[in-house]
Order: sequence, then structure tokens, then C-alpha cells
Amino acid sequence: MKQLSFAQAKQFLLEAAKQKAASIEVFASQNSRTSVQAFQGEVSEFKMSKRMGIGVRALVKGAWGYSYTENLSEPALMRCLDNALENAHLVAPEQFAVLAAHPEPPHIGDLYGEGLSGVTVDRKVAAALELERAAREADPRVVSVAYMSYSDGESEVAIANTEGLDRSYKTNSAFQYVAPLVQENGQSKMGFHVQFSREFESLDPTQTAIEAVRKSIRRLAAKMPKTGKYPVVIENHCMAMLLATYSNIFSAKMVQENKSPLAGKLGTSIGSSLVQLHDDATRPAGMESRPFDDEGYPSQHIQLIENGVLKTFLHNTETAAKDGLKSTGHATRFGYRGTIGIYPSNFYLEAGKQTKAALLEEIGTGLLLTEVHGTHAGVNAITGEFSLQADGFWVEDGNVGHALENFTVAGNFLEMLHNIEAIADDLEFSPMVGGTGAPSVRVKELAIGGT
Amino acid sequence: MLESNLVSEALQIARAGGAEFTELFVEDRIRQRLSMLNGSIKEASSGNDYGAGIRALYGTKVIYAFTNDVTREGLQSIAEAVARAGGFTGEIGITKSLDFRIAAPRKLYTVTQHPLETKQLEKVALMRRASASAQIGKVKTVDVSYLDWVQHVLIANSDGLWVEDQRFHSRLGVTAITEDGTRRADGWRFPGGSIGLEAFTNDIPEQAGLEAAKIANAMLYADFAPAGKMPVVVGHGGGGFLFHEACGHILETTAIEKNASVFAGKIGQKIAHESVTAIDDGTIAGALGTTNIDDEGMPTEHTVLIENGILKSYMVDKVGAMKTGYARTGSGRRQDYTFAPASRMRNTFIAAGLETPESLIKQVKFGLYARSIGGGSVTPGTGDYNFSVTEGYIIRNGEICEPVRGASLVGNGATDLLNIAGVANDLIRSPGFCGSISGTISVEVGQPHVLISEITVGGRA
Repeated sequence: MKQLSFAQAKQFLLEAAKQKAASIEVFASQNSRTSVQAFQGEVSEFKMSKRMGIGVRALVKGAWGYSYTENLSEPALMRCLDNALENAHLVAPEQFAVLAAHPEPPHIGDLYGEGLSGVTVDRKVAAALELERAAREADPRVVSVAYMSYSDGESEVAIANTEGLDRSYKTNSAFQYVAPLVQENGQSKMGFHVQFSREFESLDPTQTAIEAVRKSIRRLAAKMPKTGKYPVVIENHCMAMLLATYSNIFSAKMVQENKSPLAGKLGTSIGSSLVQLHDDATRPAGMESRPFDDEGYPSQHIQLIENGVLKTFLHNTETAAKDGLKSTGHATRFGYRGTIGIYPSNFYLEAGKQTKAALLEEIGTGLLLTEVHGTHAGVNAITGEFSLQADGFWVEDGNVGHALENFTVAGNFLEMLHNIEAIADDLEFSPMVGGTGAPSVRVKELAIGGT
Repeated sequence: MLESNLVSEALQIARAGGAEFTELFVEDRIRQRLSMLNGSIKEASSGNDYGAGIRALYGTKVIYAFTNDVTREGLQSIAEAVARAGGFTGEIGITKSLDFRIAAPRKLYTVTQHPLETKQLEKVALMRRASASAQIGKVKTVDVSYLDWVQHVLIANSDGLWVEDQRFHSRLGVTAITEDGTRRADGWRFPGGSIGLEAFTNDIPEQAGLEAAKIANAMLYADFAPAGKMPVVVGHGGGGFLFHEACGHILETTAIEKNASVFAGKIGQKIAHESVTAIDDGTIAGALGTTNIDDEGMPTEHTVLIENGILKSYMVDKVGAMKTGYARTGSGRRQDYTFAPASRMRNTFIAAGLETPESLIKQVKFGLYARSIGGGSVTPGTGDYNFSVTEGYIIRNGEICEPVRGASLVGNGATDLLNIAGVANDLIRSPGFCGSISGTISVEVGQPHVLISEITVGGRA
């Protein structure tokens, strides 16, 4: 069956909705990607893709119904529209559900790096081979570069509705990732490093590989810590991982559904006075930057926590209307296949003034936490509690000592925000966790499970 | 699904660069999802995933391209891209067409209540039943989700294989949240299978609601779990995540072939306590991880991984077989057409042993009873893993005592398999998801109650 183009499909649905006197929003996206993996000096996997689809959100008597299709033939699009309308009939109406032609979005530069579109396949392959080679040859203790890839791509998001809103934007991105396996004295360790850019030339495979090997080797000769409570410095990337994991508790949807431990805490102190938490969808070169959110609402920079006090939640138009507010521009739907939820964009904890070394010096004896694992399972977003497998180092007299392995770190995210006693100046955004950023922080005490 | 001459053209064009093997995977999947909060439907969505992927093998080098333009032009365009990526620079021309052996897959199960022929309101009724039965004790919030899909796949390759199959998936999820002042706790259950709505016959929705609510109530006043090394009795069913994370992933050839597994080269050797027999079975009728054929078109198999502590087999896909020399086990799986297949688990479980759960608990002076388990993860190269306990109790002098709040268990697969000190006789399986290099797929885990002599518990007390 003949497939319509992206733009034709959007137009077809809007016209069909008009004929049915239906209120709908069309969310269309298309993306193309290339990825290359190498193993022992040769390309092991080369992948190319082009994917597009259309999602329809229909508003019927205050209720939303959703449907999407990747089959862009006219009958499939018609079926998609009908399914969305039928689905709306199943849903309990909400007083605040509306479609609107939202205000004009801001102009955001740097979302589409011109230096990426013209890169030949040969250069991408060469980058992947170099990433693998440089990691393999960086140190004799590297036994295998088992997991690595270079990937890039571009995508276009278009949103239109029957109220007259019609806007789109294009982004591109490139990632390189490498996780070398290192061995010494019968111990195996695997660290990783990842780099994100919108410009090919600013990726440096050799440096990324060397950094990944350094992060793997520093984990060797690890010992288990003794079980107990210790003062802890949480390294920037690890702190970003924890922040990203708990970002959901700031969603007004979670709060309104009584699933967030922050319900009822607006205007109160939820952290140490050092804590300044932001979300900025307009951040230059931000991984999650965008001119508008997934219902077309303009992006903005908001501060969620100011001097420890909770100032606002993340909103879409519907949760905001329920609270008598304006949207903060955080409607998120993970592509045409998803439904509208609320997630942060470039979500970050503001940097402090001290160095990380000063933070370590202040704890004297304790732990430096560099990574946590299994956050999809070991974290409870309803209570704020966590118990996680961790990687880190023993700290003695303010100096980073031997690596630690096979241990857990446990606590409560909200207690931890209160227990932040110092914040370093090393804010970094972490491509592993969707552009969330954090500096290193010093926390009074966390429970460590070891021997 | 597609005409054979169109498929033949695509496979032959893709081979123009000298590939020894090309394969086409096409899927057309219809999904329905519903979510309910405290008895009222909050979201209803349906969808149609539709796309095709072509894989070409040059030795063990994989080239993969996918599109959702499943027309002659769309398929030829990815086929040509695959050939060009393999180094082909000539003109794409007409070649000899392939003779397909059209094979109907062996049918392991017959669906009796087809999701596409069931009214949405019947699905809503199931959700209401689950939701109502969770309203006990201190439960304040009940979230219920419902998900089904029907996937039609076509797998054809340059060796002449042509196989089509229809796959089903039905899942109900209940999360109960209890509250008392500032205290909160949750419990959940997610029954389902690779079948139709008959997955929810009898009182399965009620049982799921009740069980979720019981856990949320039991955990509401629980104190912190202890921290440190101790013996742990891991509950049956979902406790099988332990084996899945600790050992399963590093027995897939994707880890073995890169020398990124502590179990590489250990076939025939003792890697676990002699009471441990572990199986990965893709043929259990209706189980969530079951398919008639794998995503490379091979009938799935019953694969004994470990027998009485001895490593017997890995889980092997086509490329894994080429790289390691072991025979394929029908383990090539992928989330959808956007991934090339890789060796993955299906329904993985530890076989029943001879002891009873009570006799295992009796052996523990002080330790943890991990009755319900969330998920976990593993670092493949090292075998270091974690998984989370969502319902735990202290064991004191051989008796199950007070409840304790969630904690992670961490360890190393190679070591902890040897630390299994007893296996009970009450095997059950439990459905779940698994995310890895070829995407997120449905699996089951399973085990009887198992005693581990020593493992690190990540509590706070």
C-alpha cells in the first residue's frame, strides 16, 4: 500500500479530523541513525535506520484518546484516527484537558550541528575503529573491548493541532561509547566513557578510549568495604545518575496522583540551603534542549529548588491548569508511540564554589562514590528510598585510596538532599542519563553494605 | 504478508556486496494499552508498529538496516544501503530469484481469547476487578495497567527459509500504595503470558490485586533491612531474577564470543553447587518468554545450561554459533524490527531440588528471607550483579520474623552460584522484562526457594 510522506500524513489526518468535527493533535517524528561497532580491529556491526510514525491524540468531551501508526498508508492513518477517538470514549474526562495554539516558542540555536550532516560513512567507520583500537592498545591489562559504538543521527519532531498550532524542529547528535574489560591478578573490571556532541569534529575517539581505560583500571585491586555508616563524596556523574533517577518525584502528575513523596511540600525546605536545582530546556548545546515541549508549549528555564526550598513542580498544560498555574513546558511523550507524561529536560544541580579535592579533605575518612547500578530496581520513587550496587574508592585523610567492590549504598533521596554539606565546582552533564547534570557533593552520611 | 518476489529481490540486492547470508525480518504489530488510577481509566492508547529490517553477514560482520517503508521501493532502498555498506559500488541489477521453502512453524499454543476480538470494555472490567481487590488495609492508591499485542512476523533468508508466525502478549499490572502519616510502601504484581486474554481466567486479576496489596501492607511498618554479608533464602518465582542477572546474561554467546564472560571456555566444568540445574526453555506453552520460532526463524528449544552444577550449554544465536562453534539453540531474539537479533534468554529457571522451603529457612540462624524480588542488572564482563528485594523478612533461629524494607543484594555470579547451599522443591515461574543489546524483550524467570550461604545485603540498619 502506498505510503504517504511525513508532511502528507500530517495534513491528511488534520483534514480527516476536520471532516469528523474532531479535536486532535498530531505528533509526528522521523529519525535516521547510523551506528558502527568494532571488535579486534574490524567492524563487527554496522547499522542504518530510518523510522517515522505518527501519533494522534484526540480530545472527546474532556477525555484524551491515543493511537499511533508506522504504516502511513491512507487506510492505516484513518484507522489510527478512529482508534484514538474510540479510545477517548474509554477514558474518564478531565476538567482541564484542552487543545490550544500555545505562545510562540523561543529560538534555540545549536540543535542541528552542520558539521555532522556531511560526514561520510568511511569517516564514521574510522572513528569506531580508532575508538576500539585506542582502548585495546592503551594498556596491557585491557583484555577485550567488548562493548563500544559510534552512532549518530538526526530527527525531526512536528506537532500540529486542530486549534491551528503547527510547529517543528530538527536536531542531530553523535555519541561514542566504549567499555573496556581489564584484568589483573584474577580480578576483572569494566568501566566506560561516553561522549556526546552535535559536531563530528569535536568528538575525540582516542581521548574517549583513554579515559574509559583509565576509569576501568582505577577499579582494579578492589576490596570490599566494611559495613557501616560513612561520610561520602558523590562524584558528579554518579550524583547526576541519582538526580535523573529521582526526577520523577518533581513531576506534578506524580504529585497530583499522590505518588510522589514531595506531595504537599511546595514552599517548604526539602534540602540543605546549598541546593539549587534547575531545569533548562533552552540551555545552549544541551542534550535535551528544544524550542517547545511535546504538546508544543514553549521551553523555558525554571528553578525547582532555591536555597533548599521547593519552588515549583514540573508541569504540562493539564497539571498546571489543575493547580491554577501556567505550564512549565515539560510535557514529554517519548515519541509518537508514547502518551503525554512529564519529564525534565536539561535537569541540573547548580555548581558550588569548592573543589572536589576540598570536599574529600573535609570528610577525612569515608568513601568516594563513583557509580551506582540497577537504578531501575533498587530505587523507590514513592518513598525516596534507595539501596544500590555501587562502585567507589576508600578515602583516607582526604586522599583517594584503593578501589571498592561488591558493596551497596543505601539511604533516602530526600534525607540525602538535607544532608548535602558541600557542593563542588565541577558541574558536568552526563549523556548516560539524558543530559542530567550535577557537581560532586559531600553528604554527611550514607549506609554502606560490605563485609 | 509480502509477495515472495519482492522479498527475493530485497535479499538478493542486499547480497550484491558479497554477503554470504542475508535475512529479512518484517513485523506488523497491533498494540492496546490501558491505565487505571483508583478505579477510573486515565489513559487508553493503541498503536501499529510496522517495519522491516535486513541483515547481511560478511563472515561474522553484521550489517543491519531497517525502515518502516515496507513497500518495494522502501525494501530495495535498505537492501541497496546494506550492499553499499558492504563495499558494493556497481549498478544494482535484476538477479535470479530465490526458491523459498515455505514452512509453517510448529504451534506450541492455541489462543482462545483473541485480544483483537475482545471488546475494550471487557479489558477494563478485568482491570476493575484487580483494582477493587487491592483496596484492603492501608491501601490509598491503586494503579492498574493492561497491555496486549498481536505481532505478525515474517522471516525469510537467502538460504531459502520463509516462515511466518503470529505472536501474542497479554499483561495485567497492579501496583498498590499504602499510606499512614508519612509512611508509605508499595507492592506490585504483573501476571500475563504470550497468549490471549485467557491469561486472566478464574480469579487471576483478584489474586494479583490481593497479593500487591498484601505486600504493600506488610512493608508499610517494616523497619530498615540490615546491611552486610549474611545467608539469604530467596523466594520462588521472581527470585529467579537472581539466576537471570547473576548467570543468565553471561551464558549468552554475545558475552562469550567477546571473551566478556567469566564462564567462557568452561563447558563441562563445575561452576555451581551440585544441587543446581538451570534451564532456558523457549518451548513452554503460553509462557511469556516463549515463541514458536526465534527471531532468526529457528524453532525454539529446551536448553539445559547447568546440570547438577556442571556447565552444559550456552544460549546461542546464528552469529554466536559462527563465532564460538557451538550449535544454535533457537535463542536469537530482538525487541522488534529496529534491532538485529542477538542471543537472549527466554524462560530461564533453576529446576526443583529435594528440600522443602521450611527446611531451608530452618538452616538459617540469622539472615534475610527475600520473598519478592524486583529487577536487577549485571556488568557482563565481570559478572558483578545486583537485584532488589521488594518484600523481605528477617530470619532468626530458623523462623521467619519481622518484615524489613527493600534492599539490594549484590554479588558476583561466578562466586554466588557456588554459594547456593540448598534448593527446594517448589519451582514456579514469574513473567518479566529483560533489556539488553537487542532491546527489551519478554521473558520468564523462575526457581524454587533457594538458600545462599552468604551474600551482601544492602540495608541501612
